[in-house]
Amino acid sequence: MWIYEKKLQYPAKVGRANVQMAKYLITQYGGPDGELAASMRYLTQRYHMPTPQAKGILTDIGTEELAHLEIIATLVYKLMDRASLEEIKAAGLGAYYADHDRGLYYVNGEGVPWTAAYIQSKGDPVADLHEDMAAEEKARATYEWLIDLSDDPDLNDTLRFLREREIVHFQRFGEALQIVHEYLDSKKYF
Amino acid sequence: MDREQLCMLKELMALEFTVLEFHLYLDTHPTDQRALMEYNSFVQQLSVLKRQYQDRYGPLTWQEPSAYPWQWINEPWPWEICYE
Amino acid sequence: MFTPNDQMRLARAYVPFQIFSKRLEPMEGLLKGTIFPELYFPYQRHKK
Repeated sequence: MWIYEKKLQYPAKVGRANVQMAKYLITQYGGPDGELAASMRYLTQRYHMPTPQAKGILTDIGTEELAHLEIIATLVYKLMDRASLEEIKAAGLGAYYADHDRGLYYVNGEGVPWTAAYIQSKGDPVADLHEDMAAEEKARATYEWLIDLSDDPDLNDTLRFLREREIVHFQRFGEALQIVHEYLDSKKYF
Repeated sequence: MDREQLCMLKELMALEFTVLEFHLYLDTHPTDQRALMEYNSFVQQLSVLKRQYQDRYGPLTWQEPSAYPWQWINEPWPWEICYE
Repeated sequence: MFTPNDQMRLARAYVPFQIFSKRLEPMEGLLKGTIFPELYFPYQRHKK
């Protein structure tokens, strides 16, 4: 089961309301390389991991991604909250407004809703761990493009935190992959 | 949220983050005794600070006793806090 | 390019194992996004 903690993992700040940035950033909420996809991917792949280390790391990183999902939601909420209707229209979010007002919905930057087709669960631990490592790299790259798009130092501070987490997760998945390979090899040549 | 609470909340975030980092490390290094000792020491520090914070500002999670009226729903929620 | 050792085989990806030696203080670790200095690789903006 899961238990909610009523606090963010990181003190997520924005310098000013900025609807255009909200539109870009929402891809990390409901886009292909976003935090929802990351969490759902790891939490559903863990059932077919052969070693306790791999089951543990997928459970724990899958859970941390939920904390990141909450950070992204907080940032989008703060970027949108005080925006005027004029600003929303100017940023090209009129269509979003018609469906959601300023509510949070799982879409990418172009309004495409989240889909389970963004993730895979192959049932093969080596293939799944490779997907997970690639997912961390894609999320890292997305954070870099978002930092390039933003001139808000407060927002970028949180984006840099999230980007660094992708690097640490990549390292842990890489270690889990090694452990899984050794386990599978030991079974083969026993 | 006043300065004092915000300051304590950030300390809590920092300690909890340190515990998380050791936790992930230990998942793939379960026999690293030095990391395990550090982990246990930070878990201890975190639980002390969490206790202090919750006694002062109300529950952070489930299964905490509550003063009257029910404290859990007190604002601000995490996304409403100004972290400046 | 590194030379594979005899425990490595072709057609396999390897990430070196981290060996814990030092850590940052909790607040510095939080602000950097990791408590492990050897895993800290901050982003340098690309020129575009």
